[in-house]
Amino acid sequence: MNIASSDIVLLAHASFGVLGTLTALWVFVEALNANPENANRIRTAAVIAAVFMVMAWILGGDWYLHFYPADKALILKGPWPFAHNLVMETKEHLFFLTLTLSLYLPIAAREKLFASAAARRMVLCVAMLIVLSGLGMEGFGAIVSHGAKVALLSNAAKGANE
Amino acid sequence: MSAGTPTLGRTNASFALAAAVSILVNTVLACAKDASKPLKDFMASICGHDWTTQGMFVVILFVLLGLIFSKTSLSGKIAGTRLVSLLVGSTVLSGVALFGWYVLY
Repeated sequence: MNIASSDIVLLAHASFGVLGTLTALWVFVEALNANPENANRIRTAAVIAAVFMVMAWILGGDWYLHFYPADKALILKGPWPFAHNLVMETKEHLFFLTLTLSLYLPIAAREKLFASAAARRMVLCVAMLIVLSGLGMEGFGAIVSHGAKVALLSNAAKGANE
Repeated sequence: MSAGTPTLGRTNASFALAAAVSILVNTVLACAKDASKPLKDFMASICGHDWTTQGMFVVILFVLLGLIFSKTSLSGKIAGTRLVSLLVGSTVLSGVALFGWYVLY
């Protein structure tokens, strides 16, 4: 088995993204039933979601800057160039929306959600936006990964036919 | 505060407004740097890569705007429900705009 550091960075990036998304979902569910007993739990979960998304940003950035250029060249020469031109380009800029919302979530969750309808609605909306955009990021990542895979398969098929 | 309180706390409202503005600025910046190579090169010269500079800029903008708004009465003048709509609207609009930009670009 040969697992390169780039593989670990990429898988850790995706894992922290999933964990951040799931934690935002946790915040959403807790906020649906906001009461004095779960107030601290909501605040803690919101901070954890932000930390996970920052980790996803740092690891994704490291992979994007140091390892992705080789994948990019492969994808652009393969049958799915849109996996970079459209999907990756959108993903890398759309992520900053998710990141900004994740950094804001702990601030919104500091209020007494059980006592303020507006604050509760804000946390519910922000947490759901993080969940939806986080799921979108995961889907986009899968398409980019598949873009590299079909490029490799295409190259292998050409090699086999020669 | 009652359960029907329509306003957000000052810090919360300020950072909600800062998040909405930062998200919109991020979208404009993403499109502008693709349309302008000098801008992209300038951004790359700051942090080594334009994407890194953009990320740092958006995060710093969010924090700075949040702190500035919390020192002013601006965010307090906007109802909480309107801030929710503003943040959700700016996020959805930015997401659609980014995807549309890369479809067309």
